[in-house]
Amino acid sequence: MDIDVNQLKEDWCGRQFDEVQIPVAAKEIVEFAQACGETAARFTDPSDPDFQAPPSYTSRFHGGRAMPKDFPIQSHQGFDAGKCVHVNGPLRAGDTVTARSEIHDIYTKTGRSGNMLFIVHRMTFTNQNEEPISVVDWRLVQNQVSRKSKREAGQS
Amino acid sequence: MNEGKKSFADVEFGEDLPEFHPAIDMKSVKRFTDATGMSWSRFNDHEEAKKQGLPGAIVPGIMSQGILAAMVNNWAPGCTTLKIDTIFRASLLVDSTATCRGVVTDMVEDEGIVEVDLTISNEAGETRVMGTALIRLQDA
Amino acid sequence: MILDLHSHSIRSDDGRAKVENYCQWIRKRELPLDGFVLTEHRQWDAKSDYRKLEDETGLCILKGSEVETEYGHVLLFGVNDDLVAALDFSRLDLPLHEVVAAADRCGAIAVPCHPGRVTVGMCAHYGTLGPCEGVQVIETLNGGSRGTENEEAIALAEQYGYRGVGGSDAHIVSFIGRCATKFEREIRDIGDLVSELRGDAYEAVSFKE
Repeated sequence: MDIDVNQLKEDWCGRQFDEVQIPVAAKEIVEFAQACGETAARFTDPSDPDFQAPPSYTSRFHGGRAMPKDFPIQSHQGFDAGKCVHVNGPLRAGDTVTARSEIHDIYTKTGRSGNMLFIVHRMTFTNQNEEPISVVDWRLVQNQVSRKSKREAGQS
Repeated sequence: MNEGKKSFADVEFGEDLPEFHPAIDMKSVKRFTDATGMSWSRFNDHEEAKKQGLPGAIVPGIMSQGILAAMVNNWAPGCTTLKIDTIFRASLLVDSTATCRGVVTDMVEDEGIVEVDLTISNEAGETRVMGTALIRLQDA
Repeated sequence: MILDLHSHSIRSDDGRAKVENYCQWIRKRELPLDGFVLTEHRQWDAKSDYRKLEDETGLCILKGSEVETEYGHVLLFGVNDDLVAALDFSRLDLPLHEVVAAADRCGAIAVPCHPGRVTVGMCAHYGTLGPCEGVQVIETLNGGSRGTENEEAIALAEQYGYRGVGGSDAHIVSFIGRCATKFEREIRDIGDLVSELRGDAYEAVSFKE
């Protein structure tokens, strides 16, 4: 797969390609928090006056589409290399968040998996009052060019 | 007013967070994937995951991130997390014995901000997930 | 004198550590390190000047680079304007023999790192591409290695008569100094380091718990 990274960046980075509204329910917050091992009442008890979602909560959300329409790389071909959540404000039960998606960056490097193309998918979350909630950068890796060694391929 | 909460003055550069083994058995992972609508075979079925080329069912990256965020919250009750950045270096297997560690690696006194290195390693001591969290603590 | 020859700061895309915090960590934890080399991925960081930090902390802070070749990743020590002009540091497929030759010609030295690592280490590529002429030193102890990767690197060094160095490959503060290189003589600047690496008065050491 030959990919012109600079051209990809120029064509696709920084353009919003998706927007969805997501209602946030107390029950879902509690289930997420408990499954992650949160113990504080502000994350696990809806009756707590400061009840809110745990800081990484918006990592769980997906937009209407993972990649822009006609984007030359399909997200299902890759793997998840990491997620960074910038938390800008508390997310409360009863909020409806708006999630806007864009491709934030595209770059290449080599790693154990071969030549890799990194696509940084950014989702920006605001609440129903347009107050900032969080920005989630999802680093998705595509194996760009196979450089697998004989050993890795089980030939030796 | 600050009872039960950790303040900036309670923290020391280089301090270790309490180490622990997170619950990443199949039941716990299923609980997470059910809660997040991610009930896919690569997370919930060892045999199916192997058919997909994985060494076994793997813990979802966002569950690892959530576990590390909880580790910080449990260590510093009342803190405000400003950023949590996790790098999924390698697969963390469901039903394995993992260890979560954290350590304070930066402190900005004027702003009450503390940075913490975070890792999840497997039984062999290999780092599978690493990252950092930036939190704000209240004044003493 | 003990130097960690392989580390990354926030200047690398996957680095999360500030250089100041590396220093603070080394002193706080009383690590047996006298300094470290910042080897940022696919770039030469010409601008950063750590002399003030060196004075404040008493640590030796040097700069190198980590570039990418068909044999895997390679540390460069002694990077200068000539070497920057000779190589495109951003490429993923630099020919290793050209990197080694250019480094030698420009007064630097190239050290293939984490040789035992799949795809980005040279061990596996020796089986398909054959040995690379001109390599003298490889990283035999890497703090980020898994399984038997370091053992494979040591075996490669023994087979081909390479000298071995160690580095943590730290990307976060608390990983600095996991592996390092112990030199018999003092190293005060990058020129000293290149000179010493061309000799044989050093050994790779591990401080991994």
